[in-house]
Amino acid sequence: MNNPMTRLLLLFRTRLALRTTAIILLIVALLGGLFLGIAVQLRAANVKQTQQIRLEELLTTVERTAQIACFLADERMAQEVTQGLLSNNIVNAVTIRASDGTVLAAGRTGPRLAETTLSPVVREVSSPFEPGVNVCRMTVEPDQDEVDLKVAQASIFLGAALLLQLLGIGVCVILVVARYVTRPITGISHRLSELEVETGQKLKAPRSNRDDEIGALVASVNVMIDNLVASLGQERRLRVEREVEERRYRAIFDNVEAGLFELDGQGLMRSANPAFRRLFGIERQRDLDADPIAFASLAPGDASIETASGRERDEKREGQREYLCEVTQEGGSRWISLLVKPLETGRLQGVAHDVTERKHAAETAAQMAVTDPLTGLGNRRGFDHRLAVMARHYRLYPSRHHSLMMLDFDHFKQINDTHGHHAGDRVLRHVARTLSGLLRQRDYIARLGGDEFVVLLEGCERHDEVETLIQRFLACLETPIPLEDGAGTEIRLGVSLGIATLGIDTDSPQQAVEMADRAMYAAKRAGRNTWRFYATEMAKT
Amino acid sequence: MNRVRLFLLVSMLLVAVPAGADILVVVNPDSGIRTLSRSDAINIFMGRYRKLPNGGLALPVDLVSLKPRFYRALVDKNLAAINSYWARLVFSGEASPPQQSQSAADVHHLLAHNPNVLGYVDSETAWDDLRVVLTLDE
Repeated sequence: MNNPMTRLLLLFRTRLALRTTAIILLIVALLGGLFLGIAVQLRAANVKQTQQIRLEELLTTVERTAQIACFLADERMAQEVTQGLLSNNIVNAVTIRASDGTVLAAGRTGPRLAETTLSPVVREVSSPFEPGVNVCRMTVEPDQDEVDLKVAQASIFLGAALLLQLLGIGVCVILVVARYVTRPITGISHRLSELEVETGQKLKAPRSNRDDEIGALVASVNVMIDNLVASLGQERRLRVEREVEERRYRAIFDNVEAGLFELDGQGLMRSANPAFRRLFGIERQRDLDADPIAFASLAPGDASIETASGRERDEKREGQREYLCEVTQEGGSRWISLLVKPLETGRLQGVAHDVTERKHAAETAAQMAVTDPLTGLGNRRGFDHRLAVMARHYRLYPSRHHSLMMLDFDHFKQINDTHGHHAGDRVLRHVARTLSGLLRQRDYIARLGGDEFVVLLEGCERHDEVETLIQRFLACLETPIPLEDGAGTEIRLGVSLGIATLGIDTDSPQQAVEMADRAMYAAKRAGRNTWRFYATEMAKT
Repeated sequence: MNRVRLFLLVSMLLVAVPAGADILVVVNPDSGIRTLSRSDAINIFMGRYRKLPNGGLALPVDLVSLKPRFYRALVDKNLAAINSYWARLVFSGEASPPQQSQSAADVHHLLAHNPNVLGYVDSETAWDDLRVVLTLDE
């Protein structure tokens, strides 16, 4: 029971002709039903009218006899007329009533109908001899059953005709739709499924449909095929180009010396080339896509240097970040610069360079710039730099005082003149080494030129501490310095020192240097190989 | 031939002349009837009423010679129609045709002896002893 129903529904869904026919039949049936109703109504009215006419004719036929019967009030004859009328199947009842109201004759074939839609036919019967004088009235009731029967017959006929018409229309619609719509579409669909689009093959419209909507459909499909083939070719070309690009990129990626990597939106490293893996010691086999490394673990935040790359700060898309990080490996620590810039949303690309050499070179150069090549101590530039640092420190912490000590060796020029520059250099290296050995780690010593040295004693303000240091240095100088020139020559050297204290003597570092200088000259004047603290009277000279 | 035509024309004229006379419905003066309507006359002569307006039995009498003219004047029908009418009623028995008289004298005789008798005569036949109750124009 259910199965055929679903099969029918399936057919309706899948068969255009059937569906079209069903819809058309439904419409025709509805319209037909409407027309049938109207037709039956009209027919019923027509039948009633025909009955009326026939009854009138019957009455006309018997009128002469009825005239006489009524004229003579002849009940028997009137009865005869009544019977005659009743013998017609369209007559249900007859009454002949004389003008004075007495019933001359009456008859009825069927039962009295309580409700009848049919009005009786009434005929006034005049005297046979005096046309204007009515002698009686004949009333004839039509037979409702007969009318109904006739109407029913007419309805059956109309209904049957309509049904036949419906069947005819249905068959015709199925045939026409199947022939002119379904079959071409099925054919086109079949050919379309077998079409080899890649070869540029086109769909052909059925000959009879070349100029109609189906033809237009085929033309549209062909245009679409053209577009598809064109875009397919372009797609293929692009893919080839892309593959080449990809290979090229892959080769660069794999073989370039610089480390290359990609990050996702969460800062997880999704891919890295062999160079990068070498730099960071990541195993070659590690699948970063499945097991990513957090970028933050490679480049700690405090080691980063942000560069705005000349763009506005809020324009972060264009923004490029540079990180500098130190990687400790078996071979020692290495410095790596990481340059990260966004590729697209949620994807960043980075380049890593080993900058260890560069960094070392830079550091060495910087060191060289502030170092005295002879003694390995600071030079004038180093001293100026250190003094500036101290000045900054003093500005921040004025309660902390620092001492400045100027040294000048006595009669050093004679050593050069007597024993040569080589010997002078040797002596300078010796005293520098000796002085360095006496100082604390945080103190700074520089050779300003010739035999002139300066010592910055950080956080040292007490004269006794300074004097202790000086006495130890002078004690060291008591020991003659061997020249090792093969002749066993030894040199004794004296030194004059001047000390000024920043924070006590003055607030200006430059002035402190001058004061120390003055104190040093005061020591020289006082007989050499001694020291002087700056005193206010020295300013006068 | 001309003579024959002339004769026919004259004959027709002669026949047409009496048509100008009226027909009188007459009764015995003793009947008590002074006048009779045309309708009453029809009803009585066509068998509908059997009584006179005064209640007496009505006995209509046909004068055979005058019959066609009378019925033409009364109900505008020819004799055949009248005969057909009566023939229809023979078996019914409800009504019977008037008594037939062959001559005016018979009618006069019947009228004179029976006050219930109704008769008709040509207006030219004047009977002073009878009463005219209805004059039918032809």
